[in-house]
Amino acid sequence: MTLILEPSLRAVLDLSLDLLIPANPARDIPSAGALGVADFVLRTAQAAPADAAHMAQILQALQALDGPPTPDALRAVEQAMPEAFQTLLRLTYMGYYSRPDMREKVGVASWPVHPKGYDVPRESSALMDALTAPVRARGRIYRDAVVMTGDLS
Amino acid sequence: MTDDTVDVLIVGAGASGAALAWSLLETRMRILCLEQGPHLPDSQFPSRRDDYELARYAEFSCDPNVRGLQQDYPINVDDSCIAPVNFNGVGGSTINFLGHWPRMKPSDFRTRSLDGVAADWPVDYATLAPFYDQNDRNTGVSGLPGNPAYPDYAPELPPLPIGKLGQTLAAGFNALGWHWWPSDAAILSRDHEGRSKCVNAGTCDLGCAAGAKGGTNFTYWPMLQSAGVELRTQCRVREVRVDPATGLASGVLYYGPDGQLHEQKAELVVLACNGIGTPRLLLNSKSQLFPDGLANRSDQVGRNLMFHPLTGVSGVFDAPLEGHKGPMACSILSQEFYETDPGRGFVRGYGLHSGRSTTPMTYALGGYGIDRPIPWGAAHREIMDEVYPNLASLTVVAEDLPEAHNRVTLDPTLTDSDGIPAPKVSYRLGDNTRAMLAHGTDRATELLLAAGARRVLAKGEDAVWWRAGWHQLGTCRMGPDPETSVVNGWGRCHDVKNLFIVDGSVFVTAGAVNPTSTIQALALYVGDSIKTNISTLFD
Ligand SMILES: Cc1cc2nc3c(=O)[nH]c(=O)nc-3n(C[C@H](O)[C@H](O)[C@H](O)COP(=O)(O)OP(=O)(O)OC[C@H]3O[C@@H](n4cnc5c(N)ncnc54)[C@H](O)[C@@H]3O)c2cc1C
Ligand code: SF4
Repeated sequence: MTLILEPSLRAVLDLSLDLLIPANPARDIPSAGALGVADFVLRTAQAAPADAAHMAQILQALQALDGPPTPDALRAVEQAMPEAFQTLLRLTYMGYYSRPDMREKVGVASWPVHPKGYDVPRESSALMDALTAPVRARGRIYRDAVVMTGDLS
Repeated sequence: MTDDTVDVLIVGAGASGAALAWSLLETRMRILCLEQGPHLPDSQFPSRRDDYELARYAEFSCDPNVRGLQQDYPINVDDSCIAPVNFNGVGGSTINFLGHWPRMKPSDFRTRSLDGVAADWPVDYATLAPFYDQNDRNTGVSGLPGNPAYPDYAPELPPLPIGKLGQTLAAGFNALGWHWWPSDAAILSRDHEGRSKCVNAGTCDLGCAAGAKGGTNFTYWPMLQSAGVELRTQCRVREVRVDPATGLASGVLYYGPDGQLHEQKAELVVLACNGIGTPRLLLNSKSQLFPDGLANRSDQVGRNLMFHPLTGVSGVFDAPLEGHKGPMACSILSQEFYETDPGRGFVRGYGLHSGRSTTPMTYALGGYGIDRPIPWGAAHREIMDEVYPNLASLTVVAEDLPEAHNRVTLDPTLTDSDGIPAPKVSYRLGDNTRAMLAHGTDRATELLLAAGARRVLAKGEDAVWWRAGWHQLGTCRMGPDPETSVVNGWGRCHDVKNLFIVDGSVFVTAGAVNPTSTIQALALYVGDSIKTNISTLFD
């Protein structure tokens, strides 16, 4: 299924995505629609027939809205077509957080995690000794098992 | 096409198949391993990509029904509250496993004698201890010696950093006087024997592009291939054949990379296909001698399926805990509630595992193994900006008891890409497990508050993780009695004397720990028993 959008419908989709993941201006975090996540949503949905069918349903519902989308209007769409809405939500979250720049906004590195990874220093032996001292002080906490006899093979 | 007869034919190149092959190297027998998946180079692991998280929902999903790759077999899970997950390729599920490496305990092998439930194993901890040690040496294990929850043993490498998150939780455990210990991990805390140490990338389920994780693709297979073990990839075994005259396994029929059916003859056949794949293969191997599936005279093949059902509780702290830095599942582990205490209202017990936090996309989609996206709208922004960075979580990992109705059968219509009938899993939680999970949820909440969480988020009533079928155990269990078990105390099928099983399907009980160190220790023990009994092996 090919999902081709008139500019007006694309604008409605962008506004809807802005409502799903809004901006946080105080931290300079953009919303999903403004970031162009709709491109990802449409492209990815097209590759999976079930997702494409759900998106077609969603687009139809958005087109039928009276005026620009509002949180209440989106909630009504969610209630009317919960499965299709879940697809929209999943693809929106995937599109948004697969962007390295958005990962960074919530505290996770923008770089691919390999090969660089993260520098996490190992606790010193002294710190580990101090942390585990109360556990060691209590002594052993496992049970011995009864010894069995006889050939069990 | 008929190939030469080999001495030993192993089906499955994952954790157990590789360990067994290693054990038999010294016999100088001709060993062949058939593996349905490919041998992926680590350059193909997705964590080098900018959008690495997307792979978790596509070709690197832990769920074969999501991946749907040519080498995967679908699993009908309509009748299960937990979906089995795996990886099919050289390394098996150790490609995407998380490297958490606890051993089972002495009491785990004696649940009937100690607690009056399930059955005792025909082997015990003391017998397996040297095989645990050997397997740890072959794998490279990091951890802190002296854990009072175990008989004495010492991991070779120092522990991985437990990080800010682990230290915070440890303080909570200490405040309550509960046991905790840095996790043993099949992950290198320093460069070791030509392999590089962990870089704390936190995406262990996407393969380990650093080669630090002890998947058998990095540990056993390089040794095995240089020692001459033959590995044929993209070869999917359809059935094990039996010689009607002798009742012995004569070899297998398999689909090769050319899509054609081949026969491979062998003197000895070993199944290492994991706890779903092995019963599936046996049930698919019907003959006049075994009309209900091979080695299934007891009707136990596929029964007693055990997972480790789990649920999670998260605490929101005042400051970022950087939980995404470090191996995904290995920080600290509490076994305070592991052993039976009759006062708790259930037998056996559970572990409290400190997984680190997951990456943003996975958190937004509901968490690892869960499909329940977090709210949208203003709440979404608040959760991702204020809650997500400040989270620490505990998972309650419960011991499952064997129940005959929890089982693997063959689906009447579903097949893999070669047309081989696919498995169907029927599984529901037992009352004991439910009681354990409820108890664990309360204790995890108590702990998070003691550690300083300002609020606690539980997954809610009955919320076992959906894709938590990481550990597939019990479906061809060991035992002395051919009426009630499939293999004997050293992995040989009661009904077919040259057919062995070495994966987790032979477990009698599940313990409440991740199973792979035990699976591999058992595989080494089976290999050792084969060597010891070689002159009378098929008697
Ligand atoms: C996401 C995830 C996280 C995990 N984390 C941990 C952890 O932290 N700690 C831990 O102890 N365990 C963990 N596990 C479990 C661990 O991976 C398994 O216990 C272990 O790999 C099982 O070993 P195995 O040899 O039985 O099976 P596998 O390692 O799964 O290998 C079986 C192999 O058999 C092949 N096969 C199956 N059927 C056929 C056939 N018909 N023909 C040819 N080949 C076949 C498969 O392709 C596969 O490669 C995790 C698993 C997953 C999926
Ligand atoms: S965190 Fe460590 S073990 Fe896990 S994938 Fe990264 S380097 Fe490998």
